[in-house]
Amino acid sequence: MKLHRRVCLIQTEDAILAEEVLANRRIAQDVVGRIADRVLLVRPGRVEAVVQELQKMGHTPQVLR
Amino acid sequence: MHSVNDEFWSSQIRRILESYDETLLRQVATRLCRPRNHWPAEELIDRCLDTIGNAAMLDRRLKDHDDCAQQLLALIGQSRQFVWNVGNLVEMAIALGAADGLKAVRDLLEAGLLFPKLGVFEELPAADRSLKAAATGSSNSVAAGFSLRSPVGRGRLKDFEVWLAQGTLPATFAHPAVARRAMSRPISWPDPPICEDKRNLTILEADGLDWPLRLAVVWQMATSAPFRRTQQGDYFKRDLERLQNDSGLTGMSTDSLAPTSDLGLAAVSWGLAFGLLREVEGEVVPCEFPMSGVHTGCSPVTSSQEDKSPADASGLASTLAGLWAALPRLQDWNIARGWQPGAMLGNPYPSAQLLALALLAAMPEGHWARAAAVEDWLISRHPYWSAGNISPRPSEDEDLGARGKGKNGKRGGKQSPSAEPAAGISEFLLGIAYPLRLLQAARSANGEYWVRVSPMGRWILGCHANPPPAVHFPQTLLVQPNLEILAYRQGLTPALIARLSWFASWKTLGAACTLQLEPASVYRALQSRESLTSITQTLERHGLKALPDAVLEALKTWSNKRERIAVYSAAALFEFPGPAELSEALARGLPAVKLTDRLAIVPSEDGIDYRHFRLTGTRDYCLPPEQCIEVGDDGVTLTVDLARSDLLLETELQGLGEWVNAGANSGRRSYRLTPESLAAARGNGWSLGNLEEWFSQRTGLALSPAAKMLFTAASTPGIVLRRQLVLHLDNVELADGLLQWPPTRDLIQARLGPTAVTVAEDDVAELTKRCLQVGVELRAT
Repeated sequence: MKLHRRVCLIQTEDAILAEEVLANRRIAQDVVGRIADRVLLVRPGRVEAVVQELQKMGHTPQVLR
Repeated sequence: MHSVNDEFWSSQIRRILESYDETLLRQVATRLCRPRNHWPAEELIDRCLDTIGNAAMLDRRLKDHDDCAQQLLALIGQSRQFVWNVGNLVEMAIALGAADGLKAVRDLLEAGLLFPKLGVFEELPAADRSLKAAATGSSNSVAAGFSLRSPVGRGRLKDFEVWLAQGTLPATFAHPAVARRAMSRPISWPDPPICEDKRNLTILEADGLDWPLRLAVVWQMATSAPFRRTQQGDYFKRDLERLQNDSGLTGMSTDSLAPTSDLGLAAVSWGLAFGLLREVEGEVVPCEFPMSGVHTGCSPVTSSQEDKSPADASGLASTLAGLWAALPRLQDWNIARGWQPGAMLGNPYPSAQLLALALLAAMPEGHWARAAAVEDWLISRHPYWSAGNISPRPSEDEDLGARGKGKNGKRGGKQSPSAEPAAGISEFLLGIAYPLRLLQAARSANGEYWVRVSPMGRWILGCHANPPPAVHFPQTLLVQPNLEILAYRQGLTPALIARLSWFASWKTLGAACTLQLEPASVYRALQSRESLTSITQTLERHGLKALPDAVLEALKTWSNKRERIAVYSAAALFEFPGPAELSEALARGLPAVKLTDRLAIVPSEDGIDYRHFRLTGTRDYCLPPEQCIEVGDDGVTLTVDLARSDLLLETELQGLGEWVNAGANSGRRSYRLTPESLAAARGNGWSLGNLEEWFSQRTGLALSPAAKMLFTAASTPGIVLRRQLVLHLDNVELADGLLQWPPTRDLIQARLGPTAVTVAEDDVAELTKRCLQVGVELRAT
């Protein structure tokens, strides 16, 4: 297997929620790819900004460090 | 008992002794352990430390010193703070009657019973500091709170006189074992205030929770937004207003018998000294809440289970001892002047406060003294005030007028610089020591306050072996359907205060405190170590009534909402060749969460034993892109070196090409750029510039013509297809000649190659004729 270290990503409960997240222009700028329907790859070093934007959207993301 | 705490201090002393010049070390060792032979320096240090750990030898060494030196060590023990500025020690020595206060300090340094604070002191992490003792029940570890950096590399100390004369405030520290032994002898106080065994007084004693609660409030404020400091050590206006105007933080306590100025700023200073807050790059930020019983951290200072006191199950005694130990380290605030940013050089309050409490503790148990008499004693004996640094106590109206500025003025409670304020010792006894449960108080018929050391204070000051037994009322919370929590003080403990501080916001402090469950506070708790279960268990265990359904539903809603989105900030992601390999790894115990049929993730790779797995490659997601693609001859087949590829590349390629399932098992994977895939990429926002840059980064080559054609063909104008006659010539020279000679040049449309040109059908006859003029015959085929 191959190991990818220090990966920043968002995992949502369902694909619709991922679409909702991607619809936010600021978050979309920091999302560099979509690994799966529910998994969005975040640009390195932009996690804090993404979390803040999610909170502004009214979400309470679980930040796993 | 030799505790882990003692070992910590012993290790610090070893490092200090190692930084002594050998001559000085031998002088100190001669007085401390009295070696009979010429031992090497290392052996001498070992013998010095053995002496410090030997109670009988320590007692003999202490007897070598005069009363003043022994009493200084006893006071250090009573303070539970083992680091003291020399200036404060000198003040205490003079107050105890010494003509030359520095002599006692110098004598102790030379005898190896006091050590200079050399090098740079490092604060220990907050959770490892004194308040953590509440969680562990530690009683004698509360005063540590710092460690020493290695003095190696710095100049060796040769002479205490030179060190004492240095420009900065010199500080010293004592080993707890030495201070403990010194405490076994009573301090002889010169002309102590009159004490009386008064009867029929209404005894007042605080619950000791006033300052833990204020610190909890200030911790929550720092959690919501850090307090920013100016370069002068003050706070920015907005943060100053927050600290001065928060009603919960600055409200007069029901447990305080004297007004205290700048309570909010006092709380943040105490929080810093206590380890609840810390300063990082000019911002005061919260540490891990150390009163929390859930803390599992460990430090060499406080992790000793042997220090646990069974009588302090609630953690209150050790918390109060920790606050007492932190009091001499309070900076920028004192009881008389309130907030004094950057103006506390030569601060007399650490010594004055300790002397006041130690003086009261020396009185016969049960005897009372007037608070004003203690202040008078200090004013007459303490060199700071006996030298005349004091003005008459202001009248009550003046006093109220000055303090009234505290709410709205920029510097509440501060008096004009020209007028030295009263010493404030009575205010300290009634406004700080009493709420801290160090003292009991009683009011006489003429309105004067009398004070004596409480049972808790006697334990903290080392007069009693055990703290008073705690009375525990586990059911003390009333959780209301509107998400408000009523917390009755009699059932609160430091551990419960800490837990409540995590998931509920303090609104008011009083006999019954109020808290509010809010999405932000619950989210903060869930983001730490709490869970929905632990929060509900805390509320149910300490609740007077069953948890209302509305509260339970709200907690569930907030918790579920939080679980809808997970953000991994620096996770380890495992990529498998196929679904079978992923399933096999999970079956073998890989503690990962499956993301796709080939990818699994763990928040942290700390707990993964890689011996059980074969890694084919490792990539750091945060590193810049690497060249890991080979371009096929066709210009559109891209072969990825899987050992060097990264996660970004995989997602990029999925958007640019189509996966070709060949060679996957050989550590390489191929993708093919197709008109459809590139059209989709164009639709997803890829531009020709992006593609060229990406191609260059990933392959090291310019974008292939085929790929460029596929990407741009759709936007190219239509291609024209037409019939033409091609004239094939025998050699290049003939072609060049026809193209250069004017009669034939005008009849040739274009040159296709070295020996091929095109001619319009209508011009064939004329061209044949002109060629014949030069002897060349054209033949049609």
